[in-house]
Amino acid sequence: MNNDFKELRLDGVTRRFNAGGKASFNAVSGLTLTIKQGEFIALLGPSGCGKSTALNLIAGLLPLSEGGIWLDDERIDALPPEKRGFGMVFQNYALFPHMSVMRNIDFGLRMRRTPAAEIATRVANVLKLVQLVGQENKLPGQLSGGQQQRVAIARAIVIEPPLVLMDEPLSNLDAKLRLETRSEIRRIHRELGSTTIYVTHDQEEAMSLADRILVMIDGVVQQIATPEEIYSQPANLAVASFMGYRNMLELAVERQDGERVTLAGPDVRITGTRKLPLTNGHACIAMRPEEMVVGDGPDGANTFSVHIDGVEYCGRDSLLDVTTGAGFRMHVRTNQRFAAGETVRVHVPVERVLVYPPA
Amino acid sequence: MAIPIQRVTFDRTLLLVMPAALFMMLLFIYPFLYGLLLSLNPPEGDWLDNYQKFFTTDNLWPTIWTTLRLAVPVTLINVGLALPIAFKMRVHTRYQRWITTILVVPVSLGTVLIAEGMLTYFGPKGWLVQTIQFLHLYEGSIRLTHNFWGVLISLVISGFPFCFLLILSYITGIDPALARAAATLGAGRADQFRQIYLPLLAPGLAICFCLAFVQSFSVFPSAVLLGAPAGPTRVISIAAYEAAFEQYDYSLASAIAMIMGFVQLLIVAAVLGLRNLFYRGPAMGGKG
Ligand SMILES: Nc1ncnc2c1ncn2[C@@H]1O[C@H](COP(=O)(O)OP(=O)(O)O)[C@@H](O)[C@H]1O
Ligand SMILES: [Mg+2]
Repeated sequence: MNNDFKELRLDGVTRRFNAGGKASFNAVSGLTLTIKQGEFIALLGPSGCGKSTALNLIAGLLPLSEGGIWLDDERIDALPPEKRGFGMVFQNYALFPHMSVMRNIDFGLRMRRTPAAEIATRVANVLKLVQLVGQENKLPGQLSGGQQQRVAIARAIVIEPPLVLMDEPLSNLDAKLRLETRSEIRRIHRELGSTTIYVTHDQEEAMSLADRILVMIDGVVQQIATPEEIYSQPANLAVASFMGYRNMLELAVERQDGERVTLAGPDVRITGTRKLPLTNGHACIAMRPEEMVVGDGPDGANTFSVHIDGVEYCGRDSLLDVTTGAGFRMHVRTNQRFAAGETVRVHVPVERVLVYPPA
Repeated sequence: MAIPIQRVTFDRTLLLVMPAALFMMLLFIYPFLYGLLLSLNPPEGDWLDNYQKFFTTDNLWPTIWTTLRLAVPVTLINVGLALPIAFKMRVHTRYQRWITTILVVPVSLGTVLIAEGMLTYFGPKGWLVQTIQFLHLYEGSIRLTHNFWGVLISLVISGFPFCFLLILSYITGIDPALARAAATLGAGRADQFRQIYLPLLAPGLAICFCLAFVQSFSVFPSAVLLGAPAGPTRVISIAAYEAAFEQYDYSLASAIAMIMGFVQLLIVAAVLGLRNLFYRGPAMGGKG
């Protein structure tokens, strides 16, 4: 397998599964993506959306139903996993329980019949990289979860694969270790420059690690973009909802002026920015709780009175559960102190109200 | 800071094993001790006379070899055959259930039923021999009953399903993600088997070997019905039977039973000793 490839191309990659009886469904459908060498791509989506399936298709652990995978000009989707040589970090690590840390890590090199001297230096280097020096002779069962995770990473990267695949590698770690290991992964990627596809259901993880994020929902790619763009400009309502735009209201369209759309309900009038063409007279707005501001907006735009139903204390700030007079529920994040039962005025900047066609 | 020392107290749930322990005492240990004492109390002569007699009588001590010569190959065949077949059956396919059922059916047949069937199918006038001769596959005389081969085949038929089921359950206990991880690291099918499955199965194979060996070492009905009990398949249990029920020398019979048990114990201990060389923890590759 060549290590100096330019790009990995997924072209309409599709995988069908039986859904019981004669029915079948697409766990992954029409996944098309080009990954440049050295890029860090996050595959982000809710649980069950087909992320692991996509990763297994790329690794060669599952056959494709349709589509193709190319490494530059070489078509690789018919190759078995051992011929593709992509390094994979499994969700539950899949460390060989009967082999020492050392044997786990040098497994791939032994399979490649690498000379012993080279194995020794490469394993020593990677042990230093993942900070496991001194643990070589332990069995995986004698390690903590974080150490096991680092063995799994070391085992995958020591073969210097053209592509590293990681399937929710942090999901079994506690919060603190998750943050630490996350920066480790970022550092290792920086030091090695390895091309990485990283599967996660955690948007924060995806945004902190990836150069580009691919959002997948129900097996279908929704958006491929930089973290900033995914965060601030979700391509559709589903992505917006997944990315934390918790305040969603369906309202009647009152006026359209290019991208500017004004919508009205019984006691709210909101102007927002249209992300997709609107067809009928209704539209859905999406707003983040942390982009709502307590107080009146300039010229009283996008401002409404809300009643506080509940306050969720979060340390630096609080999350307010509020309703408008007509009963629209919303969430507002603020670092001011409020108590349930109070009434406040809140507003939201026009460019932070995203307008989509209703689902 | 002082760390409170936790005293190991008696766990009263352990009392729950009492009935089973009592049962074991009554059913196994008492007869064993009774037999041991009986074997050391010959009707006449010294306390070790029975053992001396066994190892100096020409139709007694060779029964150990006769039995081993039968039991060891049978066990190797059963384990060796069951392993690759169970390995193939580890993934769920449409046929898996049918094949498993067919392979396991002989378990429900007793040894005597198998012996009767074999006499009909494998006997000198049986279907198998007639078919082979009809097709001119082999011209010499074929004897598969009333000799070593008859007993061997019957022990394979009755012992295989047991080994198969046992090994299948061991194999399905191995996380398939391990083999997939090995594949992504460059291990082909053969290496996945050698490096992952075999070492993780080894302790289970040892257990399977021991159980299958003990089963075939104590062979009696098929050695009589399908073998040549006067000669090539005069196994140790036949010698014990003759001592007890033809010569009415219970003391000698007990001694033979003790020797039989000792040989089994020796082999089992050796195999379990080898087992300790292998990893014996859970066959899973990590947390959750
Ligand atoms: N081997 C399989 N057979 C049938 N359905 C499967 C199989 N593997 C996964 N699926 C289904 O495909 C969908 C996507 O699964 P998966 O890729 O594991 O999701 P994710 O990793 O995003 O949580 C799920 O609905 C799951 O039930
Ligand atoms: Mg998954």
